[in-house]
Amino acid sequence: MTIYETEVPGVGHKFELELDGDERLIVLIHHDGKREVYLRPGENEDSEKLFGLTGKRARQLGSILEGAYFQPVEMDDIQVPLGESIIEWVEIGADSPVVGDTLQEASIRNRTGVSVVAIQRGEETIANPRPDVTIEAGDMLVSLGTREEQQAFEELLGEEGTAGGGGVEGGDAGDA
Amino acid sequence: MAGELLLEIGIALTGIALAGALAYRVGLSVIPAYILAGILIGPNEPTSVAGIPLTLVDYGEFIDVVAELGIVFLLFFLGLEFSVGQLLGDRTRIAKIGSVDFVVNFGLGLGLGFAFSFTVVQTLFIAGIVYISSSAVVTKSLIDNGWVANAESGPILGTLVFEDILIAVYLAVLSAVAFGGGSVTEAAASVGAAFAFLGALALVAWYGTAHIERLFDATSDELFLLRILGVTTLVAGAALTAGLSEAVAAFFVGTAFSATSHTERIEHVVSPARDFFAAVFFFAIGLTTDITLLAGVAWLLVAALVATTVGKVVSGTLSGRVYGLDATRSLRVGIGLVPRGEFSLVLAALAAGSGSGVLQNVIPAFAVGYVLVMSILGTVLMQNSEVITDRIGNW
Repeated sequence: MTIYETEVPGVGHKFELELDGDERLIVLIHHDGKREVYLRPGENEDSEKLFGLTGKRARQLGSILEGAYFQPVEMDDIQVPLGESIIEWVEIGADSPVVGDTLQEASIRNRTGVSVVAIQRGEETIANPRPDVTIEAGDMLVSLGTREEQQAFEELLGEEGTAGGGGVEGGDAGDA
Repeated sequence: MAGELLLEIGIALTGIALAGALAYRVGLSVIPAYILAGILIGPNEPTSVAGIPLTLVDYGEFIDVVAELGIVFLLFFLGLEFSVGQLLGDRTRIAKIGSVDFVVNFGLGLGLGFAFSFTVVQTLFIAGIVYISSSAVVTKSLIDNGWVANAESGPILGTLVFEDILIAVYLAVLSAVAFGGGSVTEAAASVGAAFAFLGALALVAWYGTAHIERLFDATSDELFLLRILGVTTLVAGAALTAGLSEAVAAFFVGTAFSATSHTERIEHVVSPARDFFAAVFFFAIGLTTDITLLAGVAWLLVAALVATTVGKVVSGTLSGRVYGLDATRSLRVGIGLVPRGEFSLVLAALAAGSGSGVLQNVIPAFAVGYVLVMSILGTVLMQNSEVITDRIGNW
């Protein structure tokens, strides 16, 4: 995505963001902090002023857009690159062979190589769970490992146990 | 005595405030409103309306000094906001459209001056007055009409940038010529001295960035404001004492700050002071204007209004074409550049202060009449440009 910046002498700075097709969003930041947002539907069309904001309001809106207040998580497509490793969220189905085992008994790290870094259980998050924590049906296991290790982990849990974490390639969940 | 002066200043400021409020309400530029307020309550005609005496304010030393500060800070901000990056980044196109704009409109000014048999110096003033668009009025109208987000703002702002640097040079030359005595050698000598001084200022501006950065690193806004006002006024005053243009000196002080990180803070902290000084400057222009003199320049005024409106529209349309814009947008570039304002008046103030006879009376009166019409006409044309562009588009 290209962003064009122009100085507007005596006024401030103008930013143009390319949207889909010829559409552009134009943000004018005045020296006094005021922001104005325009939309230009096409290259040969006139811009239409959408709204104006004070500096403070603009920052609030910015944080909302950035996802500081609410971050939608697309469960089918979540990958966070950590060097070779990725983090995946895997939901434990009721039929999964590991239900009822403690982490130690399931011996996930020895068998697959992934580390379970957290368990989400309903509203509760068990960060860095101890070996004696029992895995329950409906748990969301957050695992860290390479692609191969994640693959082995999914196989261990059994096909029916992988409600989430399909390990879809090429997703851009990092932008979400 | 002091009480009387305070009352006069109070009347003046209230007049300015009312005029500004009125202009805002009807959506026009404040510049003509301030001038009209000055004309109305100043010592020249009209001195009364329906038997009610109107001469409420005389042109005193206080207003004189504040108006002078208005010129200084208008030019200071011109330098501050002068975008070297923008100029260099787009230099080929800006040079092209700037040249078109200059040749057409300055050329028309020269033609007008000679056609009405003014002297060379007088003609140079007239050409400058009709050439330069008003950055203040144009940028404000750009925002008010939403054009700032459209493609036509590119060539419009580009032309303004080009004009800004040219007017700084032009002011330096013209003030050297106007003050430098009659002969060509004397004029050349004072032009040389002017450029030496300004060259030195430019060097300080260019190489002193780090020092300026540190020197003006005040924690409180109050101290910051005082330092900026102090230094700028000091340099401008020194230039004027040395027989140079205070306006151009202020322009260079502004450019010295434009490379530092203080720009944004200056915009916040110093702009209100600039707005105040500038408002008094426009008001003072009104005070000193004898509108009865306008009758004497009526034909020049009419010729200039017609010729230079058409001139800007034509040169602007060509500029739009250079930027690859379509017919409607190119035409808008031309319409957008029609308003003239503060810099024409700065030139008029220079003329009034430097000469006698025609330079002192006729040219300032012409400039005031011209700016009054062009600042309003330009704004109105922009607001109603659809009518014009539709009609031309149907040809």
